[in-house]
Amino acid sequence: MMAQILAIVIFVAMFILIVMDKIERQVITLVCGLFTLVFVFGLGMHSMEAVWKTLNIGTIFKPEFWYAAGAAEKSSAGINWATIIFIAGMMVMVEGMAKAGFFQWLCMKLARLVNYKPIPLFIAFMLMSAGLSMFIDSITVILFLAAVTVELSKLLKIDPVPMILAEIFCANLGGSATMCGDPPNIIIGTSLGYAFSDFLTNTGLIAGISLIVVVVYFYLACRKELLQESGQAVDLEALPDPAEAIQDKKSFAISCVIFAAAVVMLITHAQTGLTVAFIGAVIALITLITAGKGAVQLLKKVDYKTLLFFIGLFVVVGGLEETGTLELIADFIGKISGGNLKMMVAIILWISAIASAFVDNIPFAATMIPVIKSLSAATGANLETLAWALSMGTDIGGSATPIGASANVVGTSVAAKNGHPIGWGKYCKLAAPATIIVVTLSMILIFVRYC
Amino acid sequence: MGKQMLISISREFGSEGHTIARKVAADLGITLYDRNILEAIAEEKETKVEKLEQFDEVPRNMMLTRSVGEHTSSMEDHLVNMQFEFLQRKADSGESFVVVGRCAETALKGRDGLIKIFILGDKEEKHQHIKEYFHISDGEATAKIIRHDARRKLYHNRYSEFKWGDSRGYDLCINSSRLGVDKTVKIIEEYIKERM
Repeated sequence: MMAQILAIVIFVAMFILIVMDKIERQVITLVCGLFTLVFVFGLGMHSMEAVWKTLNIGTIFKPEFWYAAGAAEKSSAGINWATIIFIAGMMVMVEGMAKAGFFQWLCMKLARLVNYKPIPLFIAFMLMSAGLSMFIDSITVILFLAAVTVELSKLLKIDPVPMILAEIFCANLGGSATMCGDPPNIIIGTSLGYAFSDFLTNTGLIAGISLIVVVVYFYLACRKELLQESGQAVDLEALPDPAEAIQDKKSFAISCVIFAAAVVMLITHAQTGLTVAFIGAVIALITLITAGKGAVQLLKKVDYKTLLFFIGLFVVVGGLEETGTLELIADFIGKISGGNLKMMVAIILWISAIASAFVDNIPFAATMIPVIKSLSAATGANLETLAWALSMGTDIGGSATPIGASANVVGTSVAAKNGHPIGWGKYCKLAAPATIIVVTLSMILIFVRYC
Repeated sequence: MGKQMLISISREFGSEGHTIARKVAADLGITLYDRNILEAIAEEKETKVEKLEQFDEVPRNMMLTRSVGEHTSSMEDHLVNMQFEFLQRKADSGESFVVVGRCAETALKGRDGLIKIFILGDKEEKHQHIKEYFHISDGEATAKIIRHDARRKLYHNRYSEFKWGDSRGYDLCINSSRLGVDKTVKIIEEYIKERM
């Protein structure tokens, strides 16, 4: 009981401190993680076993951590090292691609393909945002896409805000389609043993249908603004050549090959038995080797703070898990749903969506995974169905507000730095209805297909 | 060309700090920067000033904003950074100017010509001035003063290294109710001359 109370107090304190945003979030989770080890496992449970189980270091040295032939790897409780290694690997690859000018080139190329016409550009950038976010973290996608959108909007004399908001929404939606698109999906996939193809054929399908609806929604919502402005004369000569974005042709070609290899390895990993940890490590290694002298610079650019944030977070959630606190939440959901799968899906989906609209969806997803595991074990509900509900809820819910997901913060920040501030009202007016539409659609699709 | 003057004037609401700043700038023949900074930024960023105004001198709401690395969803933080950059660019160009509010003393920290002034006033005097200036009732004037000062304090304490109105953070703190606007202006100008 004492350990349980301590675990809850530490977890709640961590969440409040993250929301307050006064201390760097990796410091918060690491300190709270340390408190969990000392007070929850040490003083509360007197269990060194719980400490080792949560630190989970031994798992890295097991062959199945890197190669799991016949079955997708499943991470045990505690620190999810597979997620951390995969994210680190992708960070190195993305830095390499960014340095080579890949993202800017892609944006400019696409803009030229649609002849810089506002409405086709608007739709093309939405689709590109969703497509890229399936494989690359949405922060990077939005960082480049929003910057190019602002530049193009100056030249095309259009307001970049509706475009940026639509791109952000599509980045979050695209991220929900695959196992590596959004951190909650990586955690869900590695924790529950799902493969890339599992996500693609389940959340991917929901995201694909939702994308069509979202494109139509944003077109209808923003068309007047874009049509009004599209009549203005534009000097096409002043528009930059996509080739100018490429810093170095050799690095550019290499980064394209590495990205293609990563995509192929991810799509086929259930068949090849290569785990996401392996893919992340190999991709990082190849990027660093091919970067030559630039490898040190790439390593310096890796966002270590986010990786440390994950480590601390997993320890704190491990505290809740080891003390059986999350089972209580699962029991509660089981009771109020009366064992009805549709009710459970609706509760998980909407609670995840609403919570993710206001708090970081990563700690929320990490906390909810053991909950849905217990819920499935206790009620016999299909775990996969609950996992897809959790994935869609956490990934899409974050789109509703300017603080719901990291891509939203980055996109609005890029816009604001260029003189286009986006307040809560403006953001929610466009994004909140889209979020409600997609969450409702996801619920209907899950009901129809799985319940 | 004389020594560069960078005069930062912070003020309590109703202390007539803005009027004093305007007179000091006019007497010294230098530019006054207040809300006009927004107009300059809007022009530079090719945007409308109305889009920026709602975030001017407003503290960041910690519950409704979030940061990711160097990025933030706080429009208030962005506007502060833009104003800081604007003032620093002007100072770098060698221009002399007076700035009203906007945590200018922090933006221009460490520069040779910086003079940090805080203007306060007696409660009754401030109350009377606000009542007459805005043609409002006693209650409305009190509420307005409390609201504006609270906002300025929060804003300043968020972006500055010292507390709003703390005499240790300024070179000169002066109560405008004691001598009135014109004599306060004279005292400030004499102080500036002594410093230059």
